[in-house]
Amino acid sequence: MLLPPLVHKSWRDDRRAILGWAAGVTLFTLIYGGFYSQFKGAAELKQQALSKGMLDFFGVTDLVSPAGYLQASIFSLLGPLLTLFCAITLMARTIPRPEEDGGMELLLTVPLSRTRFAWQRLAAAGAVATGVSALPGIVLLIVVPVTGMDIAMSYVTAASAGLVALTWCFGGIAFLVGAVSGRRATVLAVTGALAAATYMAHVISGMAGGWHWLRWISPFHYFIGTDPLHTGWHPAHLSALVAVGVGTTIAGVILFDRRDVGV
Amino acid sequence: MTTDLAVLAEDLTKFYGAHRGIEGLHLEVTTGEIMGFLGPNGAGKTTTIRLLLDFLRPTRGHATVLGLDPRRDKALLHRRIGYLPGELTFPGRERAADLLRFFGDARGGVSWSHVTDLAARLNLDLSRPVHAMSKGNKQKVGLVQAFMHQPALLVLDEPTSGLDPLMQQEFLAMVREARAAGQTVFMSSHVLAEVQEVADRVAIVRDGRLAAVERVESLGRRAVRTVEIHFADPVGPQEFAALPGVKDVTVSGPVLKCTMDGRLDPLIKAAARHEVIDLLSTEPDLEETFLSFYYHAEGAGDAAAPAGA
Ligand SMILES: Nc1ncnc2c1ncn2[C@@H]1O[C@H](COP(=O)(O)OP(=O)(O)OP(=O)(O)O)[C@@H](O)[C@H]1O
Ligand SMILES: [Mg+2]
Repeated sequence: MLLPPLVHKSWRDDRRAILGWAAGVTLFTLIYGGFYSQFKGAAELKQQALSKGMLDFFGVTDLVSPAGYLQASIFSLLGPLLTLFCAITLMARTIPRPEEDGGMELLLTVPLSRTRFAWQRLAAAGAVATGVSALPGIVLLIVVPVTGMDIAMSYVTAASAGLVALTWCFGGIAFLVGAVSGRRATVLAVTGALAAATYMAHVISGMAGGWHWLRWISPFHYFIGTDPLHTGWHPAHLSALVAVGVGTTIAGVILFDRRDVGV
Repeated sequence: MTTDLAVLAEDLTKFYGAHRGIEGLHLEVTTGEIMGFLGPNGAGKTTTIRLLLDFLRPTRGHATVLGLDPRRDKALLHRRIGYLPGELTFPGRERAADLLRFFGDARGGVSWSHVTDLAARLNLDLSRPVHAMSKGNKQKVGLVQAFMHQPALLVLDEPTSGLDPLMQQEFLAMVREARAAGQTVFMSSHVLAEVQEVADRVAIVRDGRLAAVERVESLGRRAVRTVEIHFADPVGPQEFAALPGVKDVTVSGPVLKCTMDGRLDPLIKAAARHEVIDLLSTEPDLEETFLSFYYHAEGAGDAAAPAGA
């Protein structure tokens, strides 16, 4: 397979980060998924110890069933936290990093139009972000049968696909912010704040009756609010996440094509 | 009509907010010539170059490079341009050879023996990581990168910065060979002397505006030399000050110092009326005279192009 030299170069420059994230996320899923049987007993205690409000905050309905356990340990908070952080930092490397450190001028001598340049940088980072966010699902394909968790595989893949879609959503936003601002700090601050705020919106909408509508503005609702580990696939919700990712990405490419670079 | 022009700038203007980068630049670089682009710090050289390469978008005006539109035809254009940034930073942390392979592949394949030839000429070790190189060696990697695909147009922003004198000469030889091969060179600099050695013409910018475009041969004629004469006895300044071409006469006892514009003959004839012990005439210092004329011409205001004055 012949990859564009720029994509190849982007991966080579980022290979340490890529390997680090891949190893980290794999290990995380293995440890949390693999020790279901050991945690099960402790989880029963934990569930009694924590108040209903606390459990809601961590997105936990029950800790004992495989679905509840996977949701609590991997999908509700830590998994998205890892994969989103990975995607956001990778997107901060597409345009903002070379623009800030000055390497951009030489990268832009590569004979590509601005839009193609942006697409290739995005493709390189996007492929890695997709791969890393798919890793929990891939690892669980092995872990679930091995540990004998009693859960339908299609439910697990539905939740895992949701994690990929959520990562695309915030990855697209991060790319857009970076393509427009050219500043790493701005990408981390804006996307990070947005992720935190929408996570809170998702939590609040589940706790207080009057705030129910809030969930519609939270990507986390489209990802996990449908409870895929108990109810399976929700294509419309996942499509909404992907649409945001694609839309912000296209906007980022167009706006990058229109601005001065390195100012 | 514009095909014999490698670069054409028409009213090219860039403001950074309210701050002027370059304004109203009209410039033509003919295909196959070497044009020097001179000016003091902050004059607008880098801004102009970045406009030509489509890194910046003009506030007003337009540039045509190799007959193409820098934005619309960026992909095509950059295949035919070799660019050396003035603020050189390399993407990534790989060895010079790997970085240059990337540039070669991205530009559609470059003969590797040509790259190693260039590196050998510049005495550059390609097996070292670029980020760990000295400033001068980084500059060499930048030069190899700009020359490697034998582009039709070389745009070089302060190409000799960081190079030792020997390497500067080697670089100037590379530029001359490029011209001999039909390539066009547009290079910025602070130093007239180095540009003067190779360039056909120089354009001078000051404070965001084009001050003059001159053929290099015509610069020599403006040459002013400083002359210092030691007499046996004290002399008076008045008998020398009135001589044609003599300026800035200072006399301290038996020593006369002045600057001389043009032939030395009248000064020598006048000095011969006294007993002369020593005479020093320093090389025409274009740097001092010509550049200070354009750079700091406070009296001249913004009256551009005082050519032949
Ligand atoms: N990114 C920027 N933002 C704001 N002003 C800028 C920017 N880049 C350059 N300028 C301003 O534009 C003017 C021209 O700068 P430029 O870098 O083109 O000068 P230069 O001729 O290349 O100088 P030097 O010889 O120091 O490299 C300067 O006054 C500078 O302060
Ligand atoms: Mg400069």
